[in-house]
Amino acid sequence: MIKIKNLTATVNDGQQTILNGLSLEVPAGEVHAIMGPNGAGKSTLSYVLTGKDGYDVTDGSVDYLGQDLLAMEPEERAAAGMFLSFQYPLEIPGVPTMHFLRTALNAQRTARGEENMAAPEFLKKARQIATDLKIKPDMLKRSLNVGFSGGEKKRMEIFQMMMLEPKFIIMDETDSGLDVDALRIVADGVNALRAPDRGMLVITHYQRLLDYIVPDRVHVLADGKIVASGDADFAKLLEKEGYDKYAA
Amino acid sequence: MPHNALIEKLPHRRMEAWKWTDVRGASMSEPQGLSAACNPTIAAPSGIDISTEGVAPSENVMGKLATTFAHNATIITVPAGFKSGAPVLLSDMKSGHARLIFKIGKGAEISVTETHASNAASFVNIDMRFDLAQGAKLNRTIFHNDSADVTRISTAQINAWADAEITQHTLSFGAGLTRFETRIASLGENLQADVHGAYLLGENRHCDMTSYIDLGGENARIRQSVKGVVTDKARGVFQGKFHVRRPAQFTDAEMRHDAIMLSDTCQVRAKPELEIYADDVACAHGNTVGALDESALFYMRQRGLPAKQARALLTQAFVAQSFENMVDKSDFMARITDWLELNS
Repeated sequence: MIKIKNLTATVNDGQQTILNGLSLEVPAGEVHAIMGPNGAGKSTLSYVLTGKDGYDVTDGSVDYLGQDLLAMEPEERAAAGMFLSFQYPLEIPGVPTMHFLRTALNAQRTARGEENMAAPEFLKKARQIATDLKIKPDMLKRSLNVGFSGGEKKRMEIFQMMMLEPKFIIMDETDSGLDVDALRIVADGVNALRAPDRGMLVITHYQRLLDYIVPDRVHVLADGKIVASGDADFAKLLEKEGYDKYAA
Repeated sequence: MPHNALIEKLPHRRMEAWKWTDVRGASMSEPQGLSAACNPTIAAPSGIDISTEGVAPSENVMGKLATTFAHNATIITVPAGFKSGAPVLLSDMKSGHARLIFKIGKGAEISVTETHASNAASFVNIDMRFDLAQGAKLNRTIFHNDSADVTRISTAQINAWADAEITQHTLSFGAGLTRFETRIASLGENLQADVHGAYLLGENRHCDMTSYIDLGGENARIRQSVKGVVTDKARGVFQGKFHVRRPAQFTDAEMRHDAIMLSDTCQVRAKPELEIYADDVACAHGNTVGALDESALFYMRQRGLPAKQARALLTQAFVAQSFENMVDKSDFMARITDWLELNS
């Protein structure tokens, strides 16, 4: 589904290399986890894949469903089904959550040549998902993420994800800020989205999340590249042994 | 008066209060209306009396000038206890000088909706005074949309007695040179004033929102929020001052001005001031000038919003904060949306 080859990315006008020849393939239907020490380039990978400004890709390629991902604008990537659950979701003052989400959904649909979703259908779907994620209806009326706790923001990311039904999902430290109950609710939501035509990349520091979202593959990212890979049990081993032996 | 002598009388950039809004500099070409009277159209609900009278000129420089060319003032008298769902509508302020005085009686409630618009090069100077008797309520809505070669100065002196309430919302898209100046003076207690506005400026447009709020009575509550969005080579100016005199104890006053600059060539000048002599007051001012939040824009684009739409949505939400408590803001918001459609 996504094929990353030898991806190299720098910041500060090339003075600092964050990704250094990273290669990774996530086939459709699989969930891959990326673990690694602080500063390994995990968040950078998520930003480069979604097209944030400020990163220069100096080498490598990313093939996403047969398209050159790196040549696409962030909104084109979103319309093509790419979704990032942010580590630190942004607050958007003055834009109510439901208005934002409906605008985003319909912008994606327009880009794909589809009809807008009718308001009643949208509201019904939103209500159902909010109930599943135990999100109070009041939160959906408020400005997006403004005044929400860390955990509420993470839950709101999953809410948006379930509303948008993306094809390829990147979750950047989605577990941080969540208590055990919230983690279970979020994981149930994510697991419900697992499908043969959908891929996921789960970035996390801790193995805990992977007890709930069981990955097909686990990779260690250190110094800007994948240095080791294994199955779900590999995460448990990493948790026990730490990342020291992978760090330079 | 020969034109040269007249131009000499116009405020200019070497005067502190006018340093960012050089009326003299903008009027060298002697625009139409510079030495003429303006006769605004006034539509008022029944029960309101309209007459003309010779009254002493306003103290300020533009007010004196207005008296020279407009001679008499139009007096709009709102009787005590008056209430109406319909506003006083002021329009046709296209060129020349006008003097308007609103006398608002005890406990009366009145809305005034002003449309300042001209589609031809001209000079416009509107000098207004509002006298609010005890407990009077004034709700002013000011919409400004001139062509880019107009010079327009609008000054309002609002004198308020005890328990008066003032609500003001201004939306300006600028002109060649524009200043909306609001001066509030109160010696009475319990003044409540909400003085909000926004300017959205493109091309070579200029807009100056200046205010001076002079408090002499106890227990005033003032809220001011002005938002600016500036692009191309446009220039935004905000000058705000709260003057809290010694008797004005328990004043609770907040002033905010925030501007977003969308181009590298635009300018924003801001001068927020507090001058406080009373010792038991809560006064604050805040001023920010910056670009749109790039992280927020990326977040919105990641969700599928095209860059232009994301910028427009974010900017609209920013401007809307100034009109949060406006009763009917649909017209303002529609015009802001139209502007953003062209300028995002």
